[in-house]
Amino acid sequence: VTTTTELLQGTLDLLILKAISLGPQHGYGILLRIQQVSRDKLHIQQGSLYPALYRLEHQGLIASEWGESENKRRAKFYRLTAAGRRRLQDELRYWHRLSEAIALVLAATPEDV
Amino acid sequence: MRLLARVRSFLSALVLQRRLERDMEQEWEAHLEARAEALAAAGMPRADARRQAGIEFGDPLRWKEQAREARGLGWIQDLRADVQYAFRQMRRAPGFTGVVIATLALGIGANTAIFTVVHAVLLKPLPYEDADLLVRLVENVPAADSTTGARRRGVSMSVAELHELRGRTGAISHAGLASLSFVVISGGEETVRLEGARYSPAIFQMRGVRPLLGRVFDAGDEVPGGDGVIILSHVAWRRYFGGEPAVLGRTLTLEDAFARDAPRRHSVIGVMPQTFEPGGQNQFWIPFPPGVPGAGGDPRGPVVARLADGVSLQSAAAEVGAILSQMRGDEHTDGAVTSSGPPRYELVREKDEIVAPVKPALLVLMVAVGFVLLIACVNVTNLVLARTSARRREFAVRLALGAGRGRVGRQLVTESMTLALLGGLGGTVLAFAGVRLLRALATTLPRMDLGVQLAFPRLDETGIDLAVLAFTSAISLMTGLLCGLAPAIRLSGLDRSDALREGAATADSGVGLFRRSRMRGLLVVAEIGMAMMLLAAGGLLLHSFARLATVDLGYESANVLTFQLALPAEAYPNARLRTFAEDLVSRLRVVPGVRAAAYARQLPLVAIKESGWFRRMPDLPDPPPRQPEGAPDARLVSRDYLSVMGIGVVAGRGFSENDRAGQPRVLLINETLARREFPGQNPVGQQVYAGRDSVPWEIAGVVADVRQFGLDQEPEAQFFADFRQWPAADPVLFTFLGPYYTVRTDVGPMSIIPAVRAGVRELDARAGLYNIATMEQLVANRIARPRMYAVLLGLFAALAAGLALVGVYGVMAYVAAGRTREIGIRMALGAQHADVVRLVLRQSVAITAAGIVLGLAGAVVLTRYLEGMLFGLSPLDPTTLLVVSLAFAAVATLASYVPARRAASVDPLLALRCE
Repeated sequence: VTTTTELLQGTLDLLILKAISLGPQHGYGILLRIQQVSRDKLHIQQGSLYPALYRLEHQGLIASEWGESENKRRAKFYRLTAAGRRRLQDELRYWHRLSEAIALVLAATPEDV
Repeated sequence: MRLLARVRSFLSALVLQRRLERDMEQEWEAHLEARAEALAAAGMPRADARRQAGIEFGDPLRWKEQAREARGLGWIQDLRADVQYAFRQMRRAPGFTGVVIATLALGIGANTAIFTVVHAVLLKPLPYEDADLLVRLVENVPAADSTTGARRRGVSMSVAELHELRGRTGAISHAGLASLSFVVISGGEETVRLEGARYSPAIFQMRGVRPLLGRVFDAGDEVPGGDGVIILSHVAWRRYFGGEPAVLGRTLTLEDAFARDAPRRHSVIGVMPQTFEPGGQNQFWIPFPPGVPGAGGDPRGPVVARLADGVSLQSAAAEVGAILSQMRGDEHTDGAVTSSGPPRYELVREKDEIVAPVKPALLVLMVAVGFVLLIACVNVTNLVLARTSARRREFAVRLALGAGRGRVGRQLVTESMTLALLGGLGGTVLAFAGVRLLRALATTLPRMDLGVQLAFPRLDETGIDLAVLAFTSAISLMTGLLCGLAPAIRLSGLDRSDALREGAATADSGVGLFRRSRMRGLLVVAEIGMAMMLLAAGGLLLHSFARLATVDLGYESANVLTFQLALPAEAYPNARLRTFAEDLVSRLRVVPGVRAAAYARQLPLVAIKESGWFRRMPDLPDPPPRQPEGAPDARLVSRDYLSVMGIGVVAGRGFSENDRAGQPRVLLINETLARREFPGQNPVGQQVYAGRDSVPWEIAGVVADVRQFGLDQEPEAQFFADFRQWPAADPVLFTFLGPYYTVRTDVGPMSIIPAVRAGVRELDARAGLYNIATMEQLVANRIARPRMYAVLLGLFAALAAGLALVGVYGVMAYVAAGRTREIGIRMALGAQHADVVRLVLRQSVAITAAGIVLGLAGAVVLTRYLEGMLFGLSPLDPTTLLVVSLAFAAVATLASYVPARRAASVDPLLALRCE
C-alpha cells in the first residue's frame, strides 16, 4: 500500500452501495472489488468497512444473509434492497452534479471570472 | 418502510445483542481468514499472513464500538452503565435506598389501590354491548307535587305505557321495565327463597350478553297468560341446581311474592353467565308481567332504555321528556327545561346511576392518595437532595474529568428513576394487599329487604389489570422524574473547582446553610400542609363514624340472631303461619344458650315502611279513607319481642302472657309517638284507635325509640301490637317476606344455628332457613360504607402524617448537624444544654406552625366536599380540627426533639475541632 487517500465523509457509503450493486458480496469481497476497480488508488482500513455496513443495514438500504464464499467458506453476503437501489441512484446523481461543479471550479482560469 | 427496518434492527439489536456480537465476530474471522489466505497466496509465510491481516483490519474494539452506534445502540450502552452505577450507589447506601423505596412504595401503592377501584367502578364501561347507550329514565319531582319535598326517582311505567312511549319516539331503540322480585321455590327437598328481578325481554336484548345455557326472554314470553319461564343466575344455578346443564327445561313450582295468585309452574329456559351482572344480587329473572289489558292496576316498574344509534343523550332526554309530560298531563312543566330547577324528566347513563352513590367518595379518596404521593415525593426529594450534597465531591470530580453537565444530570435522573421503579414494584405488591383490604371493608350482606345495595357497586370487577399496571408505571416514572429533577437542577449550580477544594464541602454554615436548607424547609412546610389537610379529612370521617357507631340504637344488638324461613306457600296461609311461628318460638326458647325467642313482622333496619292508622279517642272511631300524613309505623310483634331485642320499657309495662286474643287490647307506643300525641300527659291508660277497626286499644306502656330505618335517621313514631290481639279480619299478618325470627342468646349467637335448624326441621322438614344474620351484622352492614371511608381516609391521613413527621425529622437533623460548629461556639461561650435544644426546636416549631396553618387553610377550602359523607358533623367541626392540629404539633415537636438533643449533647471542643 503506497498511497492513502482520505475518503470524503459519506463517500464510503456510496462506494459500498455501488460495489454491492454489482452483485451480492461479502465484506472482504466488497473491499477487494473497490480496490480492484479503483486500481488500488483507494485505500480503506479494512475493519472500518463493517460499522459502515451495519449502518447501511440499520437504515434498510442493504440486507445480509449467511452463505458460502467462492473458496467454500462461510461468509455473510450483502445485497441491495429496493430502498438501497433508490438511494444509490440519488447519491450517484448528486455525486455527478457535485464533481461536475467542482471540476468546473477547478478548471477555471482568470479569464473565466 | 425504512423506519420499520430501523425499528426492527434496533429491537433485534436489543434483544439479540449477544447473538449479534457472535455473528459479528464470525464475520470478521472469515474476513481475516480470507485476507490471510490471499496474502499467503502472494507468498507470505502463513504465520505472518495472519498477523498482517490483523494489522490491516485495525482495532476490533474500536469497530465494535462504532458498530453498536451504527445500530443505534449507543444510548442503551449509556443507560445500562447508568443503571449499573445506580445499583452500585444503592448498595453503598442501603439505609437511604431502603427508606426511599419504602416511602415511594407506600405512596405508589396507595395510588395504585385506589386507582384500581376508580378504574373498575368509574372508568370501565359496563360489560355490555354499547354500554354507553344504556340509560335509565329519572324523574325530578318538584316540591309542589310531592308530600316529601322535591326529590328524584326512577320513572315507573306499565308495559302498556312503555309501549305507547316507544311508539311515539325514535330516540330510543330498546326500552324495558325492571323491578324486584322474590320467589319461593318449593317441591324440592328444601324450600328455597330467591331474590331476583322481573325484566322485560328488551333488557336482555339491549345488553347483548349471551346466556351461558339456553336462551334469554323474547317477545313471546311477555304475553299475558303465557307459560311461566325463568332464567337463573350463574350463582343460583351452581348453588341450588348443582351446576347441572340438565336444569334447562325443568319445571319449578314457585310462588311470586308480588303475584300471590296460585303457585305457578315456571320452566327454566336459561342460565346467565356471571358477567351479566357482576356482583349482582339477582339470582333469577322472570319476565316483567304485562298485566291485563284495560284493568287499572297494571304492574309498574322503572324504565331502562337504550338510545338509538347516533342520538345524543340530551336530545333523547328532551324528546322523551316532552312525550312523558303529555302522556301524564303534568301541570308544572311541559318537559322543556324550565328556568328554575332541573328538567322534570332526565335520562341518566346506567353506569352513572349505578356508581353515583360512591363517586364523590372515590374522587375524595383519589385526591387523598394523590396528596400522599406528593408527600412521599417531597420526602424522597429531600433525601436525594441531602445525598446529592454528600456526593458533591464525586460530581465535581466527574465534571473535572470532562463529563458534561447533561451527562451527569442524566445519571442523577436515572438513579432516581431506578429508585422510583423499584418503589413502583413494591407499590404494586402493596396495592394487591390494599385491594384485598378494600374488598373486605366493602363486603356486605346482599339483602334486598334491608334496602342497602352493595356498599360498593362493581367491586367484583375490581382487579389489578393492564390498565392499572400502566397507570402504576406512569406514576412511578413521573415520580422518578420529579424526585430526580431537583438535585439535577441543584447540580447545575455546582462549580467544579469550588467543590473540588476540600474546604468547600464544609463551608455550610450561617447564611450559606440557611440558603441551602431553605428549599428543604419550604418543602417540609408544604408536606405538613398537605398532611394536615388529610388529617382534617380523616379526622372528620373518623369522628363522624364514631358518632354513627355509638348512636343510641334503641335496642341491644349484641347476642341476637335473626333469620327467616322459606315454606311451601300453599301449605301455610297466614293463620297457619302464625301457629307455626308460635310453635317454633316455644321450641327455640328451650334450646340451651337461648334466653328468649320471638318473631315479628319487621325488624329494625328492614327498609319497608308500614304505617298504621292511629287516632286518639275523642276522634271519630271510623278510620279516614286515607291514612293521614305522618301516620306512625305499625309494628306487629310476638310477646317476647321487646325483651329479645332489648327495647326498654320507659313507662307502664310490656306485653304479658295475658295479652291474648279476647282480653282487653293493649298497645305500646314509642317515646316519639308519646311526645307527639300526648304532650305533657301520661299516655299510659289512654284509649286510642289503631288499625282499621273501631274497637279501642289501651296504651299499656311507652317504649324506647328505635332507629328503624338507619343509624343516621332520627327515630320515627311507632306503635307495637301483639299478634295475638291483632284482628283476625286483617288478612295480611305478615309481609310477603314472612315473619322475622329473633333469638337472644347467652352464647355466641352463630353457635345456635344448628339447633335452630334442627328445631325448624322437626316442625317441617321442607322449611329452608335464609337471611341468617346477627343483629350486630345488620348494624355493621348498615354502616359499612361510612366505615370504609373512615378507615381508608384515616389510613391515608396516618400515612401522610407519618411521612410528614419523617420529613420534619430529616430536615431538622440536617439543619442541626450543619450547625454543629455554631453550636460548639455557643456552648463554649456558655450556652446551656436547654438553650441549644430551644434554639433548634424554635426552628422546627416555626416550620410546623407554618405547615399547620397552611393545612388548616386548605382544609377549610377542601373539607366541604366531605359534607355528604359526614353524620351530625359540620365539615369545619372545630373540635376535630383543633385536636388533629394539636396532636400533629405535639408529635412534630417530639420528632424534632431527637435531633435537637443530639445537637445539644455535642462536645464543644470536638465541634470546634472537627472543622
